Amino acid sequence: MTNCEWREKMGLCVDGELDPREEQAIGDHLQGCADCSSAVLEQQALKKAVRVAGKRFTAPPELYASVQRQMHPKNSPGLFARPWLKWSALAASAFLLGVITFGLLSRPSASNATVTQLIDQHVIMLASVNPVDVISSDKHTVKPWFQGKLPFTFNPPELAAGSPFTLVGGKLIYAQHAPGAELVYQVRQHKISVFIFQSRDVSGEPPAGNQTFVVNGWQEGGLQYYIVTDASREDADRLRELLKDANR
Amino acid sequence: MAATVVARGNVSGLENKDFEKLAVPLLDGLYNFARWLCGDADEARDLVQETFLKSLKGFSSFREGTNFRAWMFRILRNTFLTSRTGLERRNTQQEDEEGFEESSVSQETPEIALIRRANTELVQTAIAQLAPAFQEVILLADLEEMKYQEIAEALDIPIGTVMSRLARARKQVREHIVLTLGGRRTVGVK
Repeated sequence: MTNCEWREKMGLCVDGELDPREEQAIGDHLQGCADCSSAVLEQQALKKAVRVAGKRFTAPPELYASVQRQMHPKNSPGLFARPWLKWSALAASAFLLGVITFGLLSRPSASNATVTQLIDQHVIMLASVNPVDVISSDKHTVKPWFQGKLPFTFNPPELAAGSPFTLVGGKLIYAQHAPGAELVYQVRQHKISVFIFQSRDVSGEPPAGNQTFVVNGWQEGGLQYYIVTDASREDADRLRELLKDANR
Repeated sequence: MAATVVARGNVSGLENKDFEKLAVPLLDGLYNFARWLCGDADEARDLVQETFLKSLKGFSSFREGTNFRAWMFRILRNTFLTSRTGLERRNTQQEDEEGFEESSVSQETPEIALIRRANTELVQTAIAQLAPAFQEVILLADLEEMKYQEIAEALDIPIGTVMSRLARARKQVREHIVLTLGGRRTVGVK
């Protein structure tokens, strides 16, 4: 094996630290030097292995909430906004207008604050370029993803082959000082958010919704479920039954 | 994640909402980095909270044209280094660096297949066994995908030191993998 003058540049090459001229030169060199090509492959494999293994810990929802409180000490924590949320200007304008209009028209009471937050969360999901943290139509992928992230567990329903519902994925949310799961389903052209939290004493049946969204809620096995969707009430009811069956 | 540089002219009038927009997307990465540094979930959570508190307070003095991400990681690391755990680890770091001997570079064929076979747990063990000075550099380079200059700013060390520590860190991770999976005593370094 030869000791190429380029060998010490392999790390720089893999890290994208070479200037364009050097990059061109090393590219030409790699065409004819098997040893250096192997070295680059090894460095790439190593870098990838460290990247995968290094991402070991995820910030817990409580930390997000604490940091939000630090930044807004005079305000209530409000709905937790995920860090990767990116609004397009158009979508944001349209949806915010809708939310504000809804707020002005309905003026929910304090007891309905959770439902209001969940409608906001559903709107954010609809507008987001990254609507879910785990993307999968397989419940056996989505359910394990939540393990260790939530202080409870639940069973997404097994969807039959002909079911109009498709699981899109899930993500962690934080509302009313509590971590929860949001499962996103698709039915035809509509999205349905299913929110799951641990039951609390104050929980109860939420209002039926408003002119824009259907809201459906129930308690089962120590958990509080909410469905928020712009699909029909019949669709919401059908999904509710599937969820109830799966968690009995 | 690409480096976030606050452009000239944006600094005056920076407000909390600007801080939030810049800082919150970094939270997961900061927490992960803190966990590796501290080795303890509660301590890492406190460290991140303190980092956010300090950086929020100091945001008005944040210098224009500098890298916000590197600034945040620097605050986190400096905060960590002044903690009890940080002081203990800094002593370890000095010992490790003083005791490190540059081995001659052999010319053996790399065990690429072994590295690709390495499972996450094995690589995590290899990272965990690195001296703190090497661990933080390899995490910032390979996980946070920071440029060398950004790492130098975050750790407040010369760029040459970044490069040498990174090379050594990778060498040690590679050796751990190859020795564990290949069971060989002699490990070539490319």
